[in-house]
Amino acid sequence: MDLNLRANGKVTILDLQGNLTIGAAEETLRQRVEELVTDNQKYLLINLENVPMIDSSGIGSLVKSFTHAKNKGGKLKLLKPSRLAQQLLSITGLLSVFETFDDEATAVASF
Amino acid sequence: MEKTARLKVTDAFGVQKILPLLKPVFTIGRKVDNDLQVMSNGASRHHGSIIYENGVYLLVDTGSKRGTFINGERVERTELHHLDRISLGGVDDYQIQFIASDAPVELFSSAATGPQVASAEPRLSATAKEQLKNLARYVEVNQAFKFSLTPNDVLRLIVDAAVELAAAERGLILLINQEGKLTFKVARDNKRNNVPRKDFALSTSIVKQVVRKQQTAVLKVGDEPSDTAHSVMFLGLRTAICVPLIRFQMQDKMDATSDGRRELIGVLYLDSRAVTGKLSQTSLKLLESLAFEASKAFENVRLMHESQEKQKLEREFQTAREVQVALMPVNSVKSERFDLVAHSIPCRYVAGDFYDLMRLPDGRVALTLADVSGKGISAALLAAVAQGVIEAQFSAGHSPAEVAGTLNRVIVNRSDANRFLTMFCAVVDSDGGLAWVNAGHNPSILARRDGQTEELATKSLVVGAFDFAEYHVSHTRLGPGDVVFSFSDGVTEAVNSSGELFGDERLLELVRTSVSLTAEKIKDRVLKELLAFTSGLPQGDDVTVVALKMK
Repeated sequence: MDLNLRANGKVTILDLQGNLTIGAAEETLRQRVEELVTDNQKYLLINLENVPMIDSSGIGSLVKSFTHAKNKGGKLKLLKPSRLAQQLLSITGLLSVFETFDDEATAVASF
Repeated sequence: MEKTARLKVTDAFGVQKILPLLKPVFTIGRKVDNDLQVMSNGASRHHGSIIYENGVYLLVDTGSKRGTFINGERVERTELHHLDRISLGGVDDYQIQFIASDAPVELFSSAATGPQVASAEPRLSATAKEQLKNLARYVEVNQAFKFSLTPNDVLRLIVDAAVELAAAERGLILLINQEGKLTFKVARDNKRNNVPRKDFALSTSIVKQVVRKQQTAVLKVGDEPSDTAHSVMFLGLRTAICVPLIRFQMQDKMDATSDGRRELIGVLYLDSRAVTGKLSQTSLKLLESLAFEASKAFENVRLMHESQEKQKLEREFQTAREVQVALMPVNSVKSERFDLVAHSIPCRYVAGDFYDLMRLPDGRVALTLADVSGKGISAALLAAVAQGVIEAQFSAGHSPAEVAGTLNRVIVNRSDANRFLTMFCAVVDSDGGLAWVNAGHNPSILARRDGQTEELATKSLVVGAFDFAEYHVSHTRLGPGDVVFSFSDGVTEAVNSSGELFGDERLLELVRTSVSLTAEKIKDRVLKELLAFTSGLPQGDDVTVVALKMK
């Protein structure tokens, strides 16, 4: 999985590319979010548009990242989760926790 | 031990070894996977075999490029006799002699040393020669009988032999680690004591030179006043010798006569404060041959050690698996009103899935099916903790919602890894009342006797991720003949050889059409269909199912 950062206003967007599954990908995401929050970049939008597959460990890394940002006074939201990701978020009850958006401008404005 | 026939092998450096022919098929060739690896120009990758058949040993050419010879005569498949000389490709840099089972063999007889060693060598002590032979013997014995020599044992042996051979004061070995950096492994003095690394001032310039050129370097005070010589002087040394440790990696598609890939695995470094006499070319050659044998020996032992460590780890996993199975002791509960069965198949040794069936003091039965995120040992450990909490909570008479809430607090407070679990937990009473919580788990299937189906799906959060999660009990009334089927995502996300998912609908249909069967038969049918669907593909995730059937 590749992870690229870009800024849109005060929001940092994490563009993920590839599967968010057990192993290096989930580790990468979690570590990068911790670094960003430590670096005082607390408004994070994770772009899942190019993430075809998420497994339970991947969900775990989103949960951990979310909690980490929240505990440090930040916010973490999701952009364009795939149908499969939405299903997984729905089953696990996480749609009630994560704010998800289909549109970047609306997402950025919501912070 | 019964005596076997042996091979007496003298390699290009004049180093001898005796190999017992312990296997019915003993292979010979250039590649490392042969029983006898022959780094000879005449040898092919898989040159030939010695086959033990009907009480005789046959030498068989297995399609070599340059042929196999016995006593100078080319052969394809011929019985071996005592003292037959085997030659590969007609090149005699290796001498291989067959020793029959009943013949005595003199290990390392002094008369038979190779041509390179034969010349008179005043500075080479008899013990140094013996050392070198011992090392070769150690390696072979170790290979033949799988003795538990550790890689570090081998390194110590190598340094001791080298120090003695070169009449040096001290020696050390640096090996290249996974990051490509030279790291200190072992240092010894000429009395065979370990020398602490800090006491060993190393001339780094000579080491760098050897790494770069992959050639032996000898430095003495009095040589040209180069930077390296200065540094040797500065360290108070008179002589330093550094030899590259090189591994030959045979490549699959390689031409049988080429050299294979050379890879530097480290350096052997020797030094001396005393004024030493000139180290002769023969001694240097011998030292290089030692380094060559040493690299091979070390590599072999390292690989063997790794595989032993792996086996040890596998045994530990096996134990963990047994513990986990013991934690799920009850796989069925029968009562007057219903039958309950469960089954779990881990995809590795230990699972992140678990189930728990327990009779409560008031006669009701609690059932839980959970799936910890992630896989392997860490998931299994959290599963074990969770199981303990669930049992304790149910035993104390708490409701499924209280069980989930307590477990959530326990995991949120204790785990700082990104782990959580999804869970279906329920209590069923003898009147068919089902009180249940679905905490982020795949909805269980409720199949009515009349063919209607429902999903037991409420959107409660996963357990262990958020301190603010709340859980509420849902109530469902079950009638006679109704079935509740719970499962982990290893069932619905199983994939067949065309990449197709087993899927929710297939499972729903399977349960719906099994509603007249017993709980045991429903479970069996689903697992059988799943196995047929994935037909032989490795299981990708833990598979766990629980079936409840009302009478």
